[in-house]
Amino acid sequence: MVQLRPRASRTPASAEAMVDEGQPASEEEAEHGLLLGQPSSGAAAEPLEEDEEGDDEFDEAPEELTFASAQAEAKEEERRVRETVRRDKALLKEKRKRREELFIEQKKRKLLPDTVLEKLTTAAQTDIKKSPGKLREVNLQKKNEECEKGSDSKKVKVQKVQSVSQNRSYLAVRLKDQDLRDSRQQAAQAFIRDSLYGPGTNRTTVNKFLSLANKRLPVKKAAVQFLNNAWGTQKKQNAKRFKRRWMVRKMKTTKK
Amino acid sequence: MRARAHVGPGRREARAWSGERGAAGIRCVAYNNQSNRLAVSRTDGTVEIYNLSANYFQEKFFPGHESRATEALCWTEGQRLFSAGLNGEIVEYDLQALNVKYAMDAFGGPIWSMTASPSGSQLLVGCEDGSVKLFQITPDKIQFERNFDRQKSRILSLSWHPSGTHIAAGSIDYISVFDVKSGSAIHKMIVDRQYMGVSKRKCIVWGVAFLSDGTVISVDSAGKVQFWDSATGTLVKSHPIANADVLSIAVADQEDSFVVGTAEGTVFHFQLVSVTSNSSEKQWVRTKPFQHHTHDVRTVAHSPTALISGGTDTHLVIRPLMEKVEVKNYDAALRKITFPHRCLISCSKKRQLLLFQFAHHLELWRLGSTVATGKNGDILPLSKNADHLLHLKTKGPENIICSCISSCGSWIAYSTASRFFLYRLNYEHDNISLKRVSKMPAFLRSALQILFSEDSKKLFVASNQGSLHVIQLLEGSFKHLHAFQPQSGTVEAMCLLAVSPDGNWLAASGTSAGVHVYNVKQLKLHCTVPAYNFPVTALAIAPNTNNLVIAHSDQQVFEYSIPDKQYTEWSRAVQKQGFHHLWLQRDTPITHIGFHSKRPMHILLHDAYMFCIIDKSLPLPNDKTLLYNPLPPTSESDVVRRRTAHAFKISKIYKPLLFMELLDEGTLVAVERPLDDIIAQLPPPIKKKKFGT
Repeated sequence: MVQLRPRASRTPASAEAMVDEGQPASEEEAEHGLLLGQPSSGAAAEPLEEDEEGDDEFDEAPEELTFASAQAEAKEEERRVRETVRRDKALLKEKRKRREELFIEQKKRKLLPDTVLEKLTTAAQTDIKKSPGKLREVNLQKKNEECEKGSDSKKVKVQKVQSVSQNRSYLAVRLKDQDLRDSRQQAAQAFIRDSLYGPGTNRTTVNKFLSLANKRLPVKKAAVQFLNNAWGTQKKQNAKRFKRRWMVRKMKTTKK
Repeated sequence: MRARAHVGPGRREARAWSGERGAAGIRCVAYNNQSNRLAVSRTDGTVEIYNLSANYFQEKFFPGHESRATEALCWTEGQRLFSAGLNGEIVEYDLQALNVKYAMDAFGGPIWSMTASPSGSQLLVGCEDGSVKLFQITPDKIQFERNFDRQKSRILSLSWHPSGTHIAAGSIDYISVFDVKSGSAIHKMIVDRQYMGVSKRKCIVWGVAFLSDGTVISVDSAGKVQFWDSATGTLVKSHPIANADVLSIAVADQEDSFVVGTAEGTVFHFQLVSVTSNSSEKQWVRTKPFQHHTHDVRTVAHSPTALISGGTDTHLVIRPLMEKVEVKNYDAALRKITFPHRCLISCSKKRQLLLFQFAHHLELWRLGSTVATGKNGDILPLSKNADHLLHLKTKGPENIICSCISSCGSWIAYSTASRFFLYRLNYEHDNISLKRVSKMPAFLRSALQILFSEDSKKLFVASNQGSLHVIQLLEGSFKHLHAFQPQSGTVEAMCLLAVSPDGNWLAASGTSAGVHVYNVKQLKLHCTVPAYNFPVTALAIAPNTNNLVIAHSDQQVFEYSIPDKQYTEWSRAVQKQGFHHLWLQRDTPITHIGFHSKRPMHILLHDAYMFCIIDKSLPLPNDKTLLYNPLPPTSESDVVRRRTAHAFKISKIYKPLLFMELLDEGTLVAVERPLDDIIAQLPPPIKKKKFGT
């Protein structure tokens, strides 16, 4: 609860009740009353201002602030805020527009020229045998370009199989389709791997499997693959290298 | 692999050089009843065709491709073979040209299952996105017809009702029954997840089969075989048979037996037997378990007389059923096909080099040498170890079809399905440099067999169109001399080539017309060996005598004289007497034939488990003599030794053999492939708890 300094003009009895809790000067309490009855927030600001000024020079009357001027001030404030927001938005829009144009420009640069694209679409529809000449000469012109862009993906896929057998020098495919196929194939392979060899299956190593028979013989034998030849390969390699270098050094010193 | 060289008395041994990936595991098997052929697809994309009536010989194969891992394989009307895989494409194979006819995208994501209609004119695929697509088979292609109702999860298995009206599709946790005409799902049968008391993991229905009385049989990852009634959509019977997944199912044509394969390597046979001996009521009973595999059995097939299974451990096991086989002879024995039926190793005699062909690379090794000597049977220490000279990786996703090194060691050639590579090698003081010959002509790609002439001046290439090309090799370049066009007769098997050491004759097999012999100097056809009804497994021409030795898949060996254009006397004598019955009962085909330059009476042959030197001057064994007779001790008298000696000197010291060749007078090189090496490269098997371990 906000403890505002009470007004003497209003309720002197309640002001006395407040005196028990705090230790303010009795005169100030008498002057100011409780401000709790005032609901509007805008109006509440004014009396506080009044109180502050009244604190320092309580003989002078508080400043006359009309409602209209305050309203005008508030409106000014809002307008300024709105202006800044609008300006920011406009700037952002400008920036985005410029970026879009830049991207379009880059994309255009990356793409093959329209002539090539036309040729590709016609090549996809006509018979493969008719188009080898076109494709090859286009390829000769655009050897440096590495971009791939295809027309109808279905037809291109059928083409892929047949054209490999005719020793085609390049082939246009749509990368988006290929990614989808690859991810599905990966998912399928992961499924079968997990269902046969994944967690929950009761698998053991080939070494252990073949050594079961050795364990049950009357004279127990060692496991089928007892030595682990892959242990410490790095260490062994380092040792071999060191030995070679040491030998060379030894030879040099003995020669001298 | 190990290569050993046998030098007169004693032998030097080069140590193992594994580390490469061995044969790929088997993924799918499809049996064709009319031609009695089996199509087998492996995890690296290779598809092999075995002719079961020609002594289970692998007669054709389609090279693999990295992106083409098949998940389903099926035969349709008119001997057409289709496969579908995780790349979403349906591939048709051309059995005459031995290449892929076309690949059609099904646009449903990865394809998990495929089945042909009972009439053979329609094809059904089950995809990752839950759709079941129907394709119409036209004479030259397939055409998309329509989609069935889309399901929530991926369709892992499909089966047609024999009348063609309904389809059962197995998915994750449920099985749907579709009506073909309307394409809508009639029933959805939920499969119980219970696995060893835990129901956390989803239950994957790995296989379904639709019988003509409306029963649907399903096998799932909880180790159960369940029988459902498709008319009401309810479970009739449940058989929990394994603690691990049951991965595959195949039903016989008469629908009185079916076979299932599990992840533990066990294959179970179920049969329809009457309840009591004279009642008409029948029920399905699990009759026989077979444990021929160590790893998951991912596919099974049921022929009229045998159960066929294949899995991750790369063996193909064919188990004839005793009650179905009419004649109880050696044909009814178990067949286990592990090793390739063609020669993947070539050798350069002058420089003692071996070229090994793998799926995606070639390795060139030089044999070690020794200066020690010893007695018969000793193992001599190496003074110079075997050298790994070259590791040549192929670019691109395709597998290598065939490769060869010239006898002088300065040319290497290999071919994939779309390109042909020729390299020139230079040796200077233990260093080796490689230079590629560029701009190979387009007609050379997808070669089926490559061979260099003895003087390394000519290269012979058998292309898959049936034509045979002769190319002259010059320093750093080549010149195409001639192309022998395909003769009449359909392509029956893979082409094999043999060239005579003097460079005059070239023999080529593979067509149904017989083995053609060409005159290389005059570039024309010389003669044709009469056709034999079993495919050729090995071919070689002897030096000096120019006798063509042919080995067939039924273990017959013929000798044909090329200059005289007729079979030799010795060959006629052998045919009249017939081979020893143990010789004819060998499991594996002869893959390589060699000769001794100074001893024209000797022929060296080998298959996977033995090698044999045939001495034509000694008498032939009849059925009563011992075929595999070891060397008699020297204390025995001469008379006894002469009585027991016969022409076939067989040794089983080195096995399993991949290659054997005579390098020079006293040196024989043998390449072994121990089974342990193959097993060491396999993926993990299911854990088995044994008491006491």
